[in-house]
Amino acid sequence: MVDRVAVGAVWPVLVGLVFCGELTTVDAAPLCTNAQAGCHVLSLANLFDRVIQHSARMHGISNDLHSEFELYFLPSKNQIGRVSRNCHTSTILTPNGKENAQRMAREELTEVILKLLVAWRDPLWHFHQGLAHHHDFNNFSSNKSLEMSDMVHELRKGVQKVVEKMQTLGIISNSISSLASPEVLLASNSAEWRLMKDYDLLYCFRRDSNKVQNYLKILKCRIVPEHGC
Amino acid sequence: MQRTDVSTVPHLHLNGVRQSIIMAVSSPSSNLLLLLLISSLDWLSTPGSAFLIDWDHMTSSAPLEPHFTECISRDQETFRCWWSPGTFHNLSSPGALRVFYLKKESPTSEWKECPEYIHSNRECFFDVNHTSVWIPYCMQLRGQNNVTYFNEDDCFTVENIVRPDPPVSLNWTLLNISPSGLSYDVMVNWEPPPSADVGAGWMRIEYEIQYRERNSTNWEALEIQPHTQQTIFGLHIGKEYEVHIRCRMQAFVKFGEFSDSVFIQVTEIPTKESTIPLTLVLVFGILGILILIMLIVVSQQHRLMMVLLPPVPAPKIKGIDSELLKKGKLDELNFILTGGGMGGLPTYAPDFYQDEPWVEFIEVDADDGDSGGKEDNRGSDTQRLLGLPHPVSHRMNMGCSNAISFPDDDSGRASCYDADLPEQDTLMLMATLLPGQPEDEEASLDVEERASERSERSLVPTQTGGPQTWVNTDFYAQVSNVMPSGGVVLSPGQQLRIQESTSATEDEPHKGKEGEDGDETEELKQKELQFQLLVVDPEGNGYTTESNVRQISTPPSSPAPGEGYQTIHPQPVETKPAATAEDNQSPYILPDSPQSQFFAPVADYTVVQELDSHHSLLLNPPPRQSPPPCLPQHPLKAPMPVGYITPDLLGNLSP
Repeated sequence: MVDRVAVGAVWPVLVGLVFCGELTTVDAAPLCTNAQAGCHVLSLANLFDRVIQHSARMHGISNDLHSEFELYFLPSKNQIGRVSRNCHTSTILTPNGKENAQRMAREELTEVILKLLVAWRDPLWHFHQGLAHHHDFNNFSSNKSLEMSDMVHELRKGVQKVVEKMQTLGIISNSISSLASPEVLLASNSAEWRLMKDYDLLYCFRRDSNKVQNYLKILKCRIVPEHGC
Repeated sequence: MQRTDVSTVPHLHLNGVRQSIIMAVSSPSSNLLLLLLISSLDWLSTPGSAFLIDWDHMTSSAPLEPHFTECISRDQETFRCWWSPGTFHNLSSPGALRVFYLKKESPTSEWKECPEYIHSNRECFFDVNHTSVWIPYCMQLRGQNNVTYFNEDDCFTVENIVRPDPPVSLNWTLLNISPSGLSYDVMVNWEPPPSADVGAGWMRIEYEIQYRERNSTNWEALEIQPHTQQTIFGLHIGKEYEVHIRCRMQAFVKFGEFSDSVFIQVTEIPTKESTIPLTLVLVFGILGILILIMLIVVSQQHRLMMVLLPPVPAPKIKGIDSELLKKGKLDELNFILTGGGMGGLPTYAPDFYQDEPWVEFIEVDADDGDSGGKEDNRGSDTQRLLGLPHPVSHRMNMGCSNAISFPDDDSGRASCYDADLPEQDTLMLMATLLPGQPEDEEASLDVEERASERSERSLVPTQTGGPQTWVNTDFYAQVSNVMPSGGVVLSPGQQLRIQESTSATEDEPHKGKEGEDGDETEELKQKELQFQLLVVDPEGNGYTTESNVRQISTPPSSPAPGEGYQTIHPQPVETKPAATAEDNQSPYILPDSPQSQFFAPVADYTVVQELDSHHSLLLNPPPRQSPPPCLPQHPLKAPMPVGYITPDLLGNLSP
């Protein structure tokens, strides 16, 4: 158990360091069109790799945080059955299998990813605020929650950049209005997540981060299958 | 239901603990307590599945109802569930229990029966069409009469029950061996399980390698990493290792099964040979160097010998081929020495050589004679001694003569006197000490002298000018008498006889020819017994010349042959012109002619008997004898060399 705490302590530091590098690189490198001078051109494969790495880390942190929470509160297992009714993202239609995900159009899949990421930005922020006020938790959990909320925010930006790149390359159509949909989703889901308990929140986010990771990987292997598919 | 009771017992218990923990958490110092409690409850399973609860551990005495043992998905696309009837053996028959599942996709979802039964394993298989990820499933067992065995803990989502198949094609390659030859590194590589769709990105797998020694029980686990190869460091040579691998989904907890073990063993590689050639190379190198040094020493032997052991000066005689000095060539040598080639060398008495090996260091100047060869026969010993202008061609040179250029330098000059400017008295001494000429020469000279001009002879006694060069002196002189005062009477040898003749035939014209000569003859007559004494210093510090002319007592007319010695008492004699030592010295003691009887029988050599108190030599009386017998021209017979003695002939010399 002490090992887990230690791991939990080391994790945010490492992840933070990695994320600092990752996030800055993702944001600092503007997408260039027509090979403009002074622009750091990234290929679509590279963008996908970065985003997938990001989502993997996000899922890892969410998993750790959920495990810590579970250990702290020792919830009964039957909560799993009850959780599905409480997730505010249940309304978002997501493919529940590999084949379904592969059959789905690229644009739809991309939209699903973006919807998920948008839906979790505010709840995680509030979750972190709630943890910070609770002195019961150690600082590592509080830091992790902060990282998680930041990660979701950065990952959404990254995925939006990938979408722009894909639209530029003509891989997907311009039907995705990345700016408009988040606000729409946010308005519809604004009330539900406030009723969720912390633990349920973590459970739901853990599930959704895994969905995002999977979808991104499938998308990448469908569009740019080289380099590790 | 019992099942629910059983199931709820831990639930309530856990809830109670949870309540207490929540209360405990509120206090600031609760973290430690929390940690302790959590460590004690580590056995709790991961969320999403109740299968991992150890039913046996929990309920040891209570009856066990039918339950699901495990649900596993291998590829995140399908999954299987296994159940057990528990202690209800009457329900163990196939079909007695039925599986129902609830897929919570919507609030209105219903329980459905297992799509595919495998009764042999008591397994329910959910294929792809019935599998949905990220959607909670709840499993239920129903018996006859709608008896339901349900545990809320048996709800899960598919991604949480994924246990990938073990990796395949586990293989290893040797990376390197440490320089010490004791340990090595191994690279292990494998393939992801074929059931896991890693290529589509649907599953992201990370692997864990474990290894152990063959006979140990503890496995060493390496770091979990997502790549399909890993290096094992620090394996020991000679030991056998067992390696296996398992994998799991990234960011998930449940590992799959272990693969089959692979055995690694590297036997010892002989590396000793690297040191053996090194020693051999060193040994051969040293031997080669030694042989090279030996060769150099042998080839340059002469030079080295010259450097290390400089040659000892060998005896040399100018004008004589050194080849003749070698053994077996004495005939030629003596021929040369006795006047064959270059005028020869004066021979000496054989007995002289025995004592004085240094006689060999004789330089013979055979070439340049500043005098004509004609006067050779004319000059007497005295002339030679005095260095008069009629020097003998074959004159003896002292070893250290600087007037003679001797080609060979290592001829024993070290033992000679300083040749810078020999003092005249020394020269005089040396001249007087020279032995007399052989009798035959004396005789011949005597004859010639009589026939020669007197002017020559007149010059003989004069010693005012001193010897021109002391070079023209004989090496030895004959001591005829010793004065009691310590002076030695030397016989002038041939000159003495000449004087006798001149004195005998003194004529007025002889006298009148040269005033000086006449005076001299006058003096001669007057000073019958005036001798120029040369004191021989017995200590050998050199020769001192006594300037005083002393008289010597007239020796008895006929020395008794039996007498051992004669004592000669010097008589004071007024000194004549020979006041100064050097100038007016006459190297010879000129006896009066009437006293010739004393000198007739004078032998060339005499034996020094002893020294008296005045440091004068006491000599044996010269034996009465006819003029010394004519020494054979070539006294050297086979056993008796005259000119030169070789060491092997030394033994043949008769004393």
